[in-house]
Amino acid sequence: MLLEVNNVTKQYDIDGQILKAVDAVSLTADKAEMLSVVGHSGSGKTTLLSLMGGLTRPDTGTVIIDGIDLWALRDNQRSELRNRRMSFIYQFSSLIPTLTAIENIILPTAFGTFGADREEYAKELLGIVGLADKARAYPSHLSGGQQRRIAIARAFINDPEIVLADEPTGDLDEQSEAEIIRLFHRMNREKAVTFIIVTHNREIAGQTARQLRMTNGVLGSSGVNSSLMKK
Amino acid sequence: MTKIGIPGLAFRNLRRKVVRTVILLFTVAVVTGTLLGATAFITGMQNALKIGTYRLGADVLVVPEKNEAQAKSALLAGEPTSFYMDRGVVEKVKHVEGVKRASPQLFLKPTSFTCCYNVDAFLVAFDPASDFTISPWLEKRLKKPLADSEVIVGSSLPVVAGDTLPFFGTPFTVAGTMEPTGMKFFDQSVFMTMNSAYLMAENSKTKSMQSLELERDRISAVLVQVREGFTPQRIAIRIEHDVEGVKAIASDEVISTVRRQLSGLLKGIIGISAIVWILALLMMGFAFYMIVNERQRELGLLRAMGAKRRQIFGLIMTEAVFLSFAGGIVGIAVGSGLLYFFKGIIIRELKLPYLLPSYGVLFELVVGSLLFAMITGILSSLLPAAGASRMDPYEAVRKGE
Repeated sequence: MLLEVNNVTKQYDIDGQILKAVDAVSLTADKAEMLSVVGHSGSGKTTLLSLMGGLTRPDTGTVIIDGIDLWALRDNQRSELRNRRMSFIYQFSSLIPTLTAIENIILPTAFGTFGADREEYAKELLGIVGLADKARAYPSHLSGGQQRRIAIARAFINDPEIVLADEPTGDLDEQSEAEIIRLFHRMNREKAVTFIIVTHNREIAGQTARQLRMTNGVLGSSGVNSSLMKK
Repeated sequence: MTKIGIPGLAFRNLRRKVVRTVILLFTVAVVTGTLLGATAFITGMQNALKIGTYRLGADVLVVPEKNEAQAKSALLAGEPTSFYMDRGVVEKVKHVEGVKRASPQLFLKPTSFTCCYNVDAFLVAFDPASDFTISPWLEKRLKKPLADSEVIVGSSLPVVAGDTLPFFGTPFTVAGTMEPTGMKFFDQSVFMTMNSAYLMAENSKTKSMQSLELERDRISAVLVQVREGFTPQRIAIRIEHDVEGVKAIASDEVISTVRRQLSGLLKGIIGISAIVWILALLMMGFAFYMIVNERQRELGLLRAMGAKRRQIFGLIMTEAVFLSFAGGIVGIAVGSGLLYFFKGIIIRELKLPYLLPSYGVLFELVVGSLLFAMITGILSSLLPAAGASRMDPYEAVRKGE
């Protein structure tokens, strides 16, 4: 078991009213599993993703990555774990505007110790997302779709074990969307990366082995795609 | 080679908002320039005071009672003046208990047309037989007694050894130039023997358009050195008690007069510098709060990529250090330039002695100002940087949306 979420709750006090963004959610994900969480806007999907990534502390419950309780770690150790073992893909443009495409991809390596091969790998990732000729381009000179693809390339620079993707193909045209999903499958197959994809796009969810549905902070099973299940 | 680290990221961030960066840089520059200017100015005055009083070489200056103000103004501001008293005062002063040595001097104010140079030269005549203030310098530097046809000039006068200077119709040869002291009394004076002064006065009746009325029994002041175990103030009181019609000015009284003037000035400068510094600190602090606030999402993203708290803290602090270092350099350059170009005007207006500090001291002031600039930058960004590093990454990403 690579990821284990046990009875996690996260609530917010909004003008004296308690809002449960995530309500007693439990889920597990195996290594190289690909699962999706579907639900309407405001259903708590993004909060759940942040809880799984150790970006915010749950009010109750535990998040365990490969046997390590995320919130039993010190902040530095949690940062290191994020830097070495996981990546996030956001639904908005998450590039640093002052850095070029290649610098954006290589940026996570600035926060940890990585081998000298990362630059070559960054170029390879640029090629994989079809933007090899845009290495020196700044985000302001790239289209929204191109920026999204650079951000996706960045998510693989640290060879993560888990990728937490929040609406990764939002705003992309169908062709780009298909390419991105193909890339996810390739990384899943070749590098055994576990994907947890938050989406409201049923088509994308349909391409993951397991789909979970989130409603008002509560998680329920939606379906299993047996043809995509790991043998 | 593509490599990006915290310093590179900080540098790119500063380049992102050029106008804001320039304004912050200018703020640091103003603080640094003010500090450097103020400290260099005060150090220069203290330097001049120290060297000047050392050069004066006397513990007490005895002048005619009614000319105390003129004598002080001559010593402090180098304003040429003439006043006389009877030579007999020297012997009377020598007999006062606690007086080790006493030597007369003459202060003469030359008429403007007597010298071909447009400088307020001040004539000071000394008695080589009893002098203990100028003669030691002559022995060391000139290595011969000063002839009656020769003069020694202060460093501000635009003449060199060998030049001829006419005073009251008598030409004098410049035998040497004294090193600068920062005090006009020395730097703009022409020193000659008392015999030369009396001869010049006699000659002036036939050779000068304006004669100098000076009898051989007249002197302007008596310079006194006190015995060990006596304080200049105590001897000054005794002289005033024992010798009628004189005012005895202790050298520390001269210093304290300047110190009083300096102290007021110092308080003003410190007050203005403190206000400028506090304003700069607040302005920069506010700017860094804005920087952190508008970059919340970015900082949250960096945390999501695995940046540690100290790396986020370091990023903001590095920006502050870059900014304050560059601002400090600009401030030092501008401050030094302004001080250099306006030094003359300031000294003229304030009527205080000034001598540029040595290069070693100036270097210390420059390094000190630069450190101060960087401390200002660091202090102003400390709280915003700490706040940025403590942000919940998820909240940072969400609020930045």
